Amino acid sequence: MNQVSTPVRERTPRTDRIEARANGLLSDCRRAFHAFGELDELAENLRILSLNAELAAGRAGDKGRAVRALTQYTRELVNRLAQIQGEMNSLRGRTFALSSTILRGLSQMSLFERACGLIDDHDHDARAKSAADHAFHDIMRMLVDTLSDMANCVGELARRAHGVEEVVSQSDSIATNIAIEAAAAGVHEKEFRTVSDTMRHYVDDLRKMIDEASDAVRRASEKGESLRRLGMDSLGELGFNG
Amino acid sequence: MKCVTLFRQDDHSWQAFGQDRDKPDNVIDTNQYMIRAGGSAILLDPGGMEVFPAMLAALTREIPVDEIKALFLSHQDPDIGSSLPLWRRVCRPDVKIYLSWLWAGFTAHFDRDATFTTIPDEGMEISLSHDVRLRFIPAHYLHSSGNFNVYDPKARILFSGDMGAALVPADRANGTMFVSDFAGHIQYMDGFHRRWLGSTRARDAWVAQVSKLDIDMLAPQHGLIFKGDDVKRFIDWIAGLEIGSGVASMNR
Repeated sequence: MNQVSTPVRERTPRTDRIEARANGLLSDCRRAFHAFGELDELAENLRILSLNAELAAGRAGDKGRAVRALTQYTRELVNRLAQIQGEMNSLRGRTFALSSTILRGLSQMSLFERACGLIDDHDHDARAKSAADHAFHDIMRMLVDTLSDMANCVGELARRAHGVEEVVSQSDSIATNIAIEAAAAGVHEKEFRTVSDTMRHYVDDLRKMIDEASDAVRRASEKGESLRRLGMDSLGELGFNG
Repeated sequence: MKCVTLFRQDDHSWQAFGQDRDKPDNVIDTNQYMIRAGGSAILLDPGGMEVFPAMLAALTREIPVDEIKALFLSHQDPDIGSSLPLWRRVCRPDVKIYLSWLWAGFTAHFDRDATFTTIPDEGMEISLSHDVRLRFIPAHYLHSSGNFNVYDPKARILFSGDMGAALVPADRANGTMFVSDFAGHIQYMDGFHRRWLGSTRARDAWVAQVSKLDIDMLAPQHGLIFKGDDVKRFIDWIAGLEIGSGVASMNR
């Protein structure tokens, strides 16, 4: 009966470094989606405001004609927000699926890195080391591919954020124009000014949302790119690049 | 991780891997077994993800990993087979994975790309080499509802899964992988069997089934291995044990 023991486990510095950055990337993505969390509520508030404004414009007759046109345009913006919201939901699903693949890959990579450390001695033949190295490399390549997909998602998220930004800017102009119309609306001035002020309030909320989300998207984008490069460098070090 | 050879005759052998001193304390200790014959090897309960690095390192001291032709999972628990996706990355692409039909869809949560060769409830027999045949014998509800042991009639070894399992505290391990004092060992397996096993009918059926087999060693997935007279001592002990202790906590 023979009995042997393997040496003590080693740490996994390469995987730790990638894991720390990947956690940062995933956290920024979560922050961006969280920032957009109240988008649908704000879009609904804007839609109701535009309906009320249209009623007010109807009551104002000729003096409300311009406001009516502006509120119709507001509804188009609301529709645009709803479309962005839908796209964002599907993007969120894709991003979280990729996150799950990245986390699973990192966990497997860490275990293979530990195995490579244990196998890298004179008691094992080259085939054992090669099998573990190949497995590590395969996971790394899968991770680099997934990070590329993730970078695409972040890019798409940035485009959606830009779309919301355009809606914010146009809504701001509409609020200003309603305020101008209010000044000449006589007895309807108060009603139109309330619409304009409320719209500005929503625009401010949307702007805060965009600022927070854009910051998270920018950071995610930087981290994603740096991670992808780190993964490519690691693949290069492993001698399996290409 | 320790590696102990339990049986060797020509190219036919059984090896046990376990008692990994470097594993985290909160991870339950497990035994993994490898049977080799005629250039083929099967790994029984390859273990959880956490033990994979040490297990791969220990196993590849013994054989090239591409000699592993099959993996056997006695049931669905994570300490049995959560390492499956990792093994599939190092084993040959056509490695067979044997598992109860009951758990294929569940175990796919560990590894959605794995293809299982499912074992019917009544068990099955496979050939490892031209003269070594292994029998997957049912041990349902002990503790898992779809559960199998592996019997090698030539080596006269029964891999018994959770039957015979023991939780031996690290400070009580005396360096051996075998039970040397059955009476003293009972304290480490008593609680496990009372709580983890639930069906007296299944236990009785298992006792009747394994009593008909010639067994020199009974090798559980946790704790120490029984050999010689201790095999019968264990079967007699488990036959009279009151199990299903968790039921007492219900409807209080």
